[in-house]
Amino acid sequence: MVRGSVWISLAYLLTPSFCLHRLENYKEDLRVKPLRDGRVSTTFSFLTVLEDAVPRHPTTLELPDEPQHYALFPLTLGQILREYAITELHLSLNAGKWNYDDWGHPPEVSVGTGAELWAWMGVNEVMTIDERWSGLRNALSGLFCASLGSLDSRRTTSPVVAFPLSGSTPPFAQHELRHASLASENVCTENLTPFLKLLPCKSRAGLAELLNPQKVFDADWHGMGVHVIWKEGTGVELKLTLQAVFNPVRTSTGKRRDWSLQSLFDRSIEQSCPVANYSSVTVVLPEEKNYQITPQPPVQVDGLAIYDLSSTSDFTIPTNIAMHWSNEHRFQYPMPPLPALTPLSVKRTLHGTTQTRGVLSISVTNNSPQEILAGYLEMIPTLLTLWMHTLKVEINSDTRSMTYSHKMLPLLIIVLRLGDLLSDLKYQPPSPQPNGHLSPSMLQAALTIPPKSTLKISVEVDKAFLKYTEHPPDAMRGWDLPGAVFFPLSKSANDTSSSYNWERIYTPTLLVDLPTPDFSMPYNVIILSCTLMTLIFGSIFNLLTRKWVVVEIKE
Amino acid sequence: MRLQLLPLLLACLTTWAIGSSNSSTFYSEHAANFFGRHESASGHTNNWAVLVCASRYWFNYRHMANALGMYRTVKRLGIPDSNIILMLADDVACNTRNRFSGSVYAEAGRHLDLYGENIEVDYRGYEVTVENFIRLLTGRVDPSVPRSKRLLTDDRSNIFVYMTGHGGNEFLKFQDQEEISAFDIADAFEQMWQKKRYNEILFMIDTCQANSMYSQFYSPNILATGSSEIGENSYSYENDNDIGVSVIDSYTHYVLKFMEGINKTSQTSMQDLFNSYDPVKIHSHPGIGSDLFHRPLDKALITDFFGGVAQAEVFPLQEDAGSTSHHKSGSTSLPFASESGTPSLSVVPSATVTSLLTLTDEMHVWDIQRKEVRKWASVFIVGCIVSWVSLVR
Repeated sequence: MVRGSVWISLAYLLTPSFCLHRLENYKEDLRVKPLRDGRVSTTFSFLTVLEDAVPRHPTTLELPDEPQHYALFPLTLGQILREYAITELHLSLNAGKWNYDDWGHPPEVSVGTGAELWAWMGVNEVMTIDERWSGLRNALSGLFCASLGSLDSRRTTSPVVAFPLSGSTPPFAQHELRHASLASENVCTENLTPFLKLLPCKSRAGLAELLNPQKVFDADWHGMGVHVIWKEGTGVELKLTLQAVFNPVRTSTGKRRDWSLQSLFDRSIEQSCPVANYSSVTVVLPEEKNYQITPQPPVQVDGLAIYDLSSTSDFTIPTNIAMHWSNEHRFQYPMPPLPALTPLSVKRTLHGTTQTRGVLSISVTNNSPQEILAGYLEMIPTLLTLWMHTLKVEINSDTRSMTYSHKMLPLLIIVLRLGDLLSDLKYQPPSPQPNGHLSPSMLQAALTIPPKSTLKISVEVDKAFLKYTEHPPDAMRGWDLPGAVFFPLSKSANDTSSSYNWERIYTPTLLVDLPTPDFSMPYNVIILSCTLMTLIFGSIFNLLTRKWVVVEIKE
Repeated sequence: MRLQLLPLLLACLTTWAIGSSNSSTFYSEHAANFFGRHESASGHTNNWAVLVCASRYWFNYRHMANALGMYRTVKRLGIPDSNIILMLADDVACNTRNRFSGSVYAEAGRHLDLYGENIEVDYRGYEVTVENFIRLLTGRVDPSVPRSKRLLTDDRSNIFVYMTGHGGNEFLKFQDQEEISAFDIADAFEQMWQKKRYNEILFMIDTCQANSMYSQFYSPNILATGSSEIGENSYSYENDNDIGVSVIDSYTHYVLKFMEGINKTSQTSMQDLFNSYDPVKIHSHPGIGSDLFHRPLDKALITDFFGGVAQAEVFPLQEDAGSTSHHKSGSTSLPFASESGTPSLSVVPSATVTSLLTLTDEMHVWDIQRKEVRKWASVFIVGCIVSWVSLVR
């Protein structure tokens, strides 16, 4: 009898549970690349795949959701994705300016300064995309301790060409994009803490052990990203990335560019994450062979040294991976001019000396010998009003500095017809939103840049005059203008292959100095008018009611 | 005349007798007896902390360090991040002027990093406004506000509210742009009292002329303390030469130094903290506002406000002492006199813990029956009085 019940209970335990148990796998990778200016670029990439999962259908939003059970996929983020039926989500929190010329293209493309959030969602009438976008922003702001709640309709646009779906398009529902960025967002340890809590092993095992906030936030550039993509055959992919560009020359005592994981992060990897299918450190080996790398990489292929740290591999975890240049006494910066590492170099400035008008000028240089067709996207909040009739495009085939060409070779500055260089211009002016604010203006154009030349676009702008209550507490600092985005375009509609040799490029952000009022004036006006009213009322009251009489004092 | 008055008098007496044996307050009495078993115990079940640094800019580093020092103290003493609302008006740890990125120090030698690796700042930067602060306290937040930014307290929560920044006579400056007045905070606390959002509040404030900020409170169970009297400034304690600015305020420095000796099991009371105030060292006169606080200060523990300490008592198992039929697994039950109308609750401490569990099952049915009886009896008596009055007329 006892035996029978034991068998029955065993059989019950072995049968699959009622709820859908999806397979999940987790991979982590650290890519270290020494750069030519002595810096070291590190990219952590943590990939969790929820196999055979499908994003929530927006029509099921009014019904309660089916229970989700995750082993490795983070529940907090999963719940937010299901709550608002998000198909694709990208959030990046970056600080610093990515130097494309010296550092090349970043392994993770979204390097715009500040916070950038964009999501693709399916259309639904019951819970509109804008409601879900607002819910998503606030939920993520609570999860990541970032002030994403202020990315409301004043900063939200829908640039579908520049930010297409990275994964597969789900068959249900028409999808729409919402994109917003906040260039003034600070990134600090309070953003890293919840980021690490989304990992299966947190920061206790695996590559995430290296993430020391004191070192990461001291880097010349740092940024973290959360990317959720749906791929049809694979399922829902969550990629958490953290990139940082360190400067060993600045932080070391002898101005050397030698680096090691211990010197960069002040930490070492004690144990590998047991639930990781694959965990590795990849070092991109420099071209000149005057370096030494310790320990000897077990696998060396394609100029990459790969250390496999998975718990299943035979390779014991190295306590420290180091690269040093023992023949160098101190690091010598390579002398300019240096060829830019990316085909396009971009610069953006805001000229003008007054606080009412200015000129926004963008200069795009094509460093490659082929013509490049680039898309140009500007999403400008209503701080600046663009005067489209003043849009000018100049081409200067002399790649020397701008002022030099202006003075010495004026004949080579040609103002070509806009149709040759700038085409498909789309301008969306600010439109009033339900909450009383104006949406940002969006400028999109296709630029055809001839080889080895610089294209300059300039447009006159007016700076907004805000009400005194709309200014931030530190009004004298100015407002941050999010960076412009350049993205590759295909030459014809048939050419759908994504074989471009460059990716999305962000310009640095700009600080716009708006006219500020005298904030003490409300106080002054109240004081003066109250004084005036008191004097008037007091005088009239006394005149009407006060009577002077002689009082006799009896001795 | 007197004979006619007699039935009226009897009727009044019976209604009063039945009314006084009011069993609808039975539960609240029993709960109050359970929580108030040790006289002058706080009676709270959870702790929250609201730590506000209201000033911005790099030269106000010390205000950020004040708030972070309090954050680390309450976290060390047991309040979890989900129960702490930290509002920092500016980011000093990752500020480009900070030589020591990711770290905030509160003393000149830079031994202890207050920022650390595990920190959650709920309101940061431009989100620290007077409106958000008052909405947080009163609970009137927009539906879109996430859970980590809400104060989800109940009537058994002890809340520690700490504010620091630049202030003056009955006001505190938020981010150099707006002010919150003592009346605003007093009204917010009163709203919280009306909505039963706190059990007790400890309000601590470190600004210039801080004691004026709690002078307008009028809700019960608030213990307030400030760093300086009206007309006095609060001073910073020391500078760090590498950071380049003052790193901590005097009052907060001495409070944190006192807290270093406290751990979760400590029985140190608020009176000990207040006794440690030394106006000569702090360079200002800290004040204490305990007129709205009904417990003696030497019985109010530091961990009642600063810590998230679970109260556990160990009872020895008692022998069978009960005489009623309400037995459960051999433990003693309430010595409940089922005959009389009034439940004579001689609460035996050792039995209370186990019997409280059995209480709800047993008392529920009984209590409903008694309520019904009482209701009909009072209706009958009122009907008698009315008919008697009409007959007399």
